[in-house]
Amino acid sequence: MAKLSERYKLTQSQKMMVFILSMSLYGLSNMITELIPEVYIGPIEFSVEYFAFIPLTLCILFHPLYAAIGASVGEIIFGELMLGQFGGFGELEKFIAFSLAMYVAGTFVRDPKNKIQVGIAAMLGVIIHQFISMTVDVLKVWVGVEELEVVPGLAESVVIIEGFYFLNDIFFSGILFALLPTVYLVPRLYGKIEPLLGMKPRERTDRYSLKEVIGPRLVAGGLVLASLAFMFEFLSETDFNPVDWEADLGGGLETTLIWVSIGMAFLIAVSVIAVMVKRRRDNMPPGPGGVAS
Amino acid sequence: MEYTRKLVDKLSVEQLKVELLNTAYGNDRTFLAKLDPRTLFIWYSFFGIVPWFIHNEKVLAGMFLFMAAATFTARVSPVIIFILCLGLLGQGGYLFIAALFFGGDWAVMYPLLVLTLKLSVISLASIAAFCSMDPEKLSNGLLKIGVPGQAAFSIAYGYRMLPTLIEEYQHVFQSFRLRGKAPEKHGFLYWRTIAYFIKLAVLSFYPLLLSMAKRARTTVEALETKGSLNGFNDPAVKKLKLSGLKMGRADYGFLLFSAVYAAALFILF
Amino acid sequence: MTAQIEVRDVTFRYPGGDRAVLDKASLTVEKGEFVAILGGNGSGKSTLCKLLNGLIPHYYTGDFEGEVIVENMRTLDCKVAELSGIVGYVYQDFENQIVSPRVLDDACFAPLHQGMTDYLERGHEALRSVGLDHRQDDFIWQLSGGQKHLLALAGILSLNPDIIIIDEPVAQLDPKHAREIYDILRSLNEQGKTIIVIEHHTEFVAEYAQQVVLMDDGKVLFKKPVKEALNEVELLLERQIFPPQVTQAASLAGVDGPLPITPDEAAKHFSGGVRPLPSETGPARTGGGEELVVYRDTGFSVNTITREKRRILDDLNLTIRDGDHIALVGNNGAGKTSFMKLMTGLVKPDLGEVMVCGERTADRPPEYFAEKVAYIHQNPEQMFIDDSVEKDVGFFMKARKTPDLEVRVEELLRQFRLEELRERDSRLLSGGQQRRVSLAIGVGMIPEILVLDEPTANLDIATRKQITRLLDELKHQLKAVVIATHDMQLACEFANRIIVMNEGRIIHDGDRDSVFGNARLLEKAGLIPPQVFAFSQSIGWEPPAYTVDEFVRRFAGKEAEHGVYA
Repeated sequence: MAKLSERYKLTQSQKMMVFILSMSLYGLSNMITELIPEVYIGPIEFSVEYFAFIPLTLCILFHPLYAAIGASVGEIIFGELMLGQFGGFGELEKFIAFSLAMYVAGTFVRDPKNKIQVGIAAMLGVIIHQFISMTVDVLKVWVGVEELEVVPGLAESVVIIEGFYFLNDIFFSGILFALLPTVYLVPRLYGKIEPLLGMKPRERTDRYSLKEVIGPRLVAGGLVLASLAFMFEFLSETDFNPVDWEADLGGGLETTLIWVSIGMAFLIAVSVIAVMVKRRRDNMPPGPGGVAS
Repeated sequence: MEYTRKLVDKLSVEQLKVELLNTAYGNDRTFLAKLDPRTLFIWYSFFGIVPWFIHNEKVLAGMFLFMAAATFTARVSPVIIFILCLGLLGQGGYLFIAALFFGGDWAVMYPLLVLTLKLSVISLASIAAFCSMDPEKLSNGLLKIGVPGQAAFSIAYGYRMLPTLIEEYQHVFQSFRLRGKAPEKHGFLYWRTIAYFIKLAVLSFYPLLLSMAKRARTTVEALETKGSLNGFNDPAVKKLKLSGLKMGRADYGFLLFSAVYAAALFILF
Repeated sequence: MTAQIEVRDVTFRYPGGDRAVLDKASLTVEKGEFVAILGGNGSGKSTLCKLLNGLIPHYYTGDFEGEVIVENMRTLDCKVAELSGIVGYVYQDFENQIVSPRVLDDACFAPLHQGMTDYLERGHEALRSVGLDHRQDDFIWQLSGGQKHLLALAGILSLNPDIIIIDEPVAQLDPKHAREIYDILRSLNEQGKTIIVIEHHTEFVAEYAQQVVLMDDGKVLFKKPVKEALNEVELLLERQIFPPQVTQAASLAGVDGPLPITPDEAAKHFSGGVRPLPSETGPARTGGGEELVVYRDTGFSVNTITREKRRILDDLNLTIRDGDHIALVGNNGAGKTSFMKLMTGLVKPDLGEVMVCGERTADRPPEYFAEKVAYIHQNPEQMFIDDSVEKDVGFFMKARKTPDLEVRVEELLRQFRLEELRERDSRLLSGGQQRRVSLAIGVGMIPEILVLDEPTANLDIATRKQITRLLDELKHQLKAVVIATHDMQLACEFANRIIVMNEGRIIHDGDRDSVFGNARLLEKAGLIPPQVFAFSQSIGWEPPAYTVDEFVRRFAGKEAEHGVYA
């Protein structure tokens, strides 16, 4: 009997370690990327967007959820709060998009020694994240500009510019700062870093992932969540009031950061979707229940 | 060479500590800084969201004035404002050029300006609100509105560890520099040198991953032995931490003023 | 009434570990004892301590047998959190135990997060008891290393535990601060708390502890009163643990009966108005060699939090020549590290200049000087950048495409006895091994001058001796060696030139006789000479002996003269 609770507690502290590790390092890297100047050649921006390889590596080696959430928190604290650039609600969207992307990348890898898997996962993580960011940015302009279609050229140019940034980030940041370093680091750290946290290396049989994960399904899930992330831009349409969050989330459960934020995100997203579906009488697919597992 | 020296200067640990400290703790005397975090959250949740759905440029301009005034009284560091302006103008500019390219004309300018105004209001609101909260206040505020206690811990821990981490990173980076060899030719537009330093910046994380893992372990272990690991979300602990939070007259006054001001904007225009 | 702590036949194996770290270990500790745990590296000292606060078996799920009872509670049955009010633990890497940005917040952290309403008073009280109350509003990064250690201690004192465990309290401190923390521990002990320290420095053990536990290979060999324990000279030496110098001296000199463990006790065995043999000379200075490094009116300062410049070094004038083996001594904060970093070109002086091999450091990047001056960090981990010992050692030469790379790496690995560790990641090695790798890396940079920051800090005495030997070998390989150190034994045995720094200035430049013979200088710089030196001085030897061997030889010579021993 006692054994069970012990084991549970143990994993709690190990999760905390992974969280702290990921938060500190990705946070630090964020600060560094903020300091690296950007290079423009015409409209092409060669900036170091982020060191995505850090959360990617950690998500692949450890429990992906905690590493992913840790990285997002680290970005907010080191990269935004400390530099005085905290963006309020905008951070929420980044938080969800980035955590999701990293998490998916982490679950994708079943064998950290398989470089091809690691490489695909790294790119997958960046693509998902950048895709969500792009969608949100496009929609921001579409929401922000009244009667967008009246202004000739604007709608297209937004899509083109954001699309261009998307590709730029994928090919520049994605390859240089996600793919290459991740493929370099994961095999080097595998089996070496885990004992430092008192853990066994992740094995092929470990199931962090949703069972029977297949690429397309994940991408589809990512797309649905991408639209969810966007919904945060509509928050004010609902009776959203931060003071209500307190409600019953604290409870007796182990309210880890993750479940609350993810849960929160889902609750809000679902309600927003419900409102929208009702309002537009559109044939939108039913809520994101499938991804919740 | 010039470039590397600049980079190193920027990474000067002492300097960074000074800047950080001032960003985080330097503003505690302003009016906004004395308000309860909840007041600032409520205030921000209005001015950070509502402008999205307002297309009346006069109302937006009125809000902009208010935000500008708030930012001014909050004594936000000019650097942050500068970065903000650069970002806003950049985005607007690119959109404008691209729109012209796709057959738009000068008429595109107007909605883009409105958009920029809108974005400015939103960004200034967040800067004014969040730069006026020191880390402790923000943590308590977040805790109060139900964000899990780990977030508050993470903020404190972040401020605690940052100088240590930067120092360590700097050491590793230095070791790479001293024992490695920078490219002898700078290459076209210094690209070789830049690529070299960026490569070092990435490689330096390998040692850091291992040493941070050791740190994380001691930290969590120590939290455990001090019986604190499960205290983050304990209601009793929360109550203790938040016992200092109080909505005062200034808070209600500020909210009332903001509400009246916003209402006036809507009525007048 | 049972004892406060009872460890009964505990066997423990870390998950994935191939051998039992504890092997039927048993130990009893009574309330109010001051216990020192001695043992070589890997003997299970830290593991034993982690039993007491329940980290084992709750946190480390290895194979656990036996039982541990602390204040009548079986650790197996209660949670780590419940034990936190009873057992406080200060880690060896205590820095990572501090989790808040401000001093007072960290002192209150534990009671606050256990929901104690009086958390503020507890924090204040804890800070007062370690003497940090005047710094309560400061940020952690404004504290010195010693103060951080005190804060880590305050962090656990705020829970008012009955048992306090400290893992190597003085490893990173200068002798003055080391004494400070031991005095605090003693006063806590006098208030009725049980103190358990893991300690290599037997001189502190002799002075402060009441009981000594000797561990070896996962077993508790004995627990004895300190006097008896330190008299087990052979048993200790077999495990590479060195008793206090006076005890060693007495043992070698063949003193009858119980050996003395403190200078006071030793005095009666060795005093008597007889004259010892003349002193032995220290490492000789060749002098007049080529000028390698020149400091000219050098000043150096850093920006502080309050945006003011703080002067670290002032008005330095110094020449380092070929053949100099310099020990740089002085308290923490005296400016030793900045002094050495100026030589590497990593930092530039803001007044005057520093010339290295004829070039001003201000004129060239640090990469250039890396080929002349190799700097070895106090924390070896800061030098490990690749993923194996072999690659780390060869990194510099590889980047410069040195022709016979493999041969030279091979030589270095042999010289520093690293052949068997070549494939391992340097960060995962033990402290002594890491130190050897860092030396190999430094020498692998083929410098003219090797600069080392605290090369023997954090090492047990046996490893320390090993490193000292390696450093001695280097004297022939390099033109000059500069060592910053708190280890006066090392300074006496290694250096032919000792430079004393205090508050950013050089206050003395001489050799061991001129430094240790000058009581006012020692006082001012906060230096504490080796025990055997102070002791022989106190019994009237002139000049005093620097090492145990010298002491014994001279003493034996004296006895022989008088015909006591044939």
